[in-house]
Amino acid sequence: MLSLQARQLLAASLGLVAFLGLTGFALDRAFAETAETALRQRLENYVWAYIERSELSRSGELILPDVPPDSRFTRIGSGLYAGVKAKDFLWESGSALGRRLPFDQELAPGEIDFSGPIETVHGPIYRYSYGTVWEYGDDKEARFTLHVAEDTLSLQRQIAVFRRSLWVYLGAAALLLLGLQILVMRWSLSPLRRVVADMEQIMDGRVERLPGDYPEELTLLTDSLNEMIDVGREQISRTRNVLADLAHSLKTPLAVMRSELESVQDDAQLRATLKEQTERMGEIVAYQLSRAATTGRQTFATPLVIEPRAEEIVRSLEKVYAGKNILCEFDVDRSARFHGEEGDLMELLGNLLENAFKWARHRVLLTARAMTIAPQRRAGVLITVEDDGPGIPPDKVELLLQRGVRGDERVHGHGIGLAIVLDIVKAHRGELSVERSDELGGARFVVRFSPSL
Amino acid sequence: MRILLVEDEAPLRETLAARLKREGYAVDAAQDGEEGLYQGREVPFDVAVIDLGLPKMSGMELVRQLRAEGKKFPILILTARSSWQDKVEGLKAGADDYLVKPFHVEELLARLNALLRRAAGWSKPSLDCGPISLDLAAQTVSIDGTSVDLTSYEYKVLEYLMLHAGELVSKADLTEHIYQQDFDRDSNVLEVFIGRLRKKLDPEGALKPIETVRGRGYRFAIPRNE
Repeated sequence: MLSLQARQLLAASLGLVAFLGLTGFALDRAFAETAETALRQRLENYVWAYIERSELSRSGELILPDVPPDSRFTRIGSGLYAGVKAKDFLWESGSALGRRLPFDQELAPGEIDFSGPIETVHGPIYRYSYGTVWEYGDDKEARFTLHVAEDTLSLQRQIAVFRRSLWVYLGAAALLLLGLQILVMRWSLSPLRRVVADMEQIMDGRVERLPGDYPEELTLLTDSLNEMIDVGREQISRTRNVLADLAHSLKTPLAVMRSELESVQDDAQLRATLKEQTERMGEIVAYQLSRAATTGRQTFATPLVIEPRAEEIVRSLEKVYAGKNILCEFDVDRSARFHGEEGDLMELLGNLLENAFKWARHRVLLTARAMTIAPQRRAGVLITVEDDGPGIPPDKVELLLQRGVRGDERVHGHGIGLAIVLDIVKAHRGELSVERSDELGGARFVVRFSPSL
Repeated sequence: MRILLVEDEAPLRETLAARLKREGYAVDAAQDGEEGLYQGREVPFDVAVIDLGLPKMSGMELVRQLRAEGKKFPILILTARSSWQDKVEGLKAGADDYLVKPFHVEELLARLNALLRRAAGWSKPSLDCGPISLDLAAQTVSIDGTSVDLTSYEYKVLEYLMLHAGELVSKADLTEHIYQQDFDRDSNVLEVFIGRLRKKLDPEGALKPIETVRGRGYRFAIPRNE
């Protein structure tokens, strides 16, 4: 992949070449036109000078001046020529001696012709011609056509000089601009280089995250990088915690089994202990697995709509508990949202609802309400799950909520599900309370995530 | 009851199969999804136990395929991962119940009984027809509260007939759903079992619980109490 710098340089060079090329071409054309116009003007002036200084004899003969308007008219092969053409008459300036020039054309009086470059045997020339009529004697008139011509040598020389300096200046300008462009580029790409350097520092472990001061265009990138770094770090520490918890909580049953193995002789007792402890280990593993599935992370992405997830879970549970014939009433705000990951929401709802289905006699009630305090603030949500089962005695509630945070402490009757619910609620800075359901008479679990302030 | 067991872990598959056989199931075991699908297509099962993490074809896909092919027998899925997203997805694919590993075999048996009952349209845990009551969990039969002593094959025949009480059950159905191996269809062993059942359930010949539909099969004739 082409580097950013190379791309910029390539684009800038192409732009410069195109711009300077066009400019040079336009200037060149303009100069050539100007030079040609100047030449025409000069030739015209010579024609007028000749007309001014010439005289017509009484017999109608043209008497040309002894001294020409320019000394080059007398120097042979000077490149500047004059000629007069009339009926049966042709005069050519001294410079045209021995040369064949296209001076035999006759123009009507007042007619002007400027043409060139005309190819002659002596090289290309420009020619200005003017037709005139002079009166003499009694109403007699003599028609003449004056021609002044110059070869293109001087014009070409002028243009060549102009071109040379033009391209020298344009080339210098191009180099200067390119250099400037490179400097500008280095300057504008320097924040990117800084990001790279900062990332290297992070990888070396010298800093924790990218410092905040980057240009606006980069902050989106650096912010996501920072978020990624945070998520990664968080996940590592979570994994580490889960692993440590798992190892720690497996230690106890292992220790029990080992001591029993060493001390107890009675096979039946050993079997009973083994059964009890493997069961406990199974629960620990299941709990830690579920914990690994939850992240407890609050996301700033689009919040999750609770309704469809709740509906899916209720439909699944109705299938599983079809034999119990449970009526699950459902009162979920369409606007109720959960600010977190889908896995967490599913675990939260799934475990609470499964508990309710397990303990209910016939009815389960799920409600979810959005709690809005101001339109710009993140709305909170209140989720309640009630059943018409036996409920939980108030003196056990405290115990239930204190326990179950760690997998090695079993929450009797409510399995590991509630422990996971508690984990998730805590991770999201919510509250979980257990009450008696006014409506159904059984247990009522209330999860409250407050609106953000 | 004929059960399809699809589980890739050999030790678990073998202990489960042995236990299920002891409980009176005719067990067909498969070790991957493709084998499971093949057997599920070919054999008329009453219920299936499918592990979600299978080689060749995932359990989820197997459930989906079986349902897509119109197989209606209840399916219980086993999953090592206990996330709710998995459970919901499995049930949406067409499973009827799930069990998270590790589990107690007793729980699996209870869930299977419940699934079989529900699939046959029974809602209570015991099947009651007139004075005859069959307890699926305890595998006992009683008449007017007095328990009847049945052999395991007699019990299995009665269980199948009572689950489908009121329906015609052919001899082929009975042999296919009850016996482990292919059974000699022409033999009169089944008739012997039916004869013994009739004697034990109805010694006086007053109830006439099992009807013979000549040339076609049997029907449990006492209507369900529900």
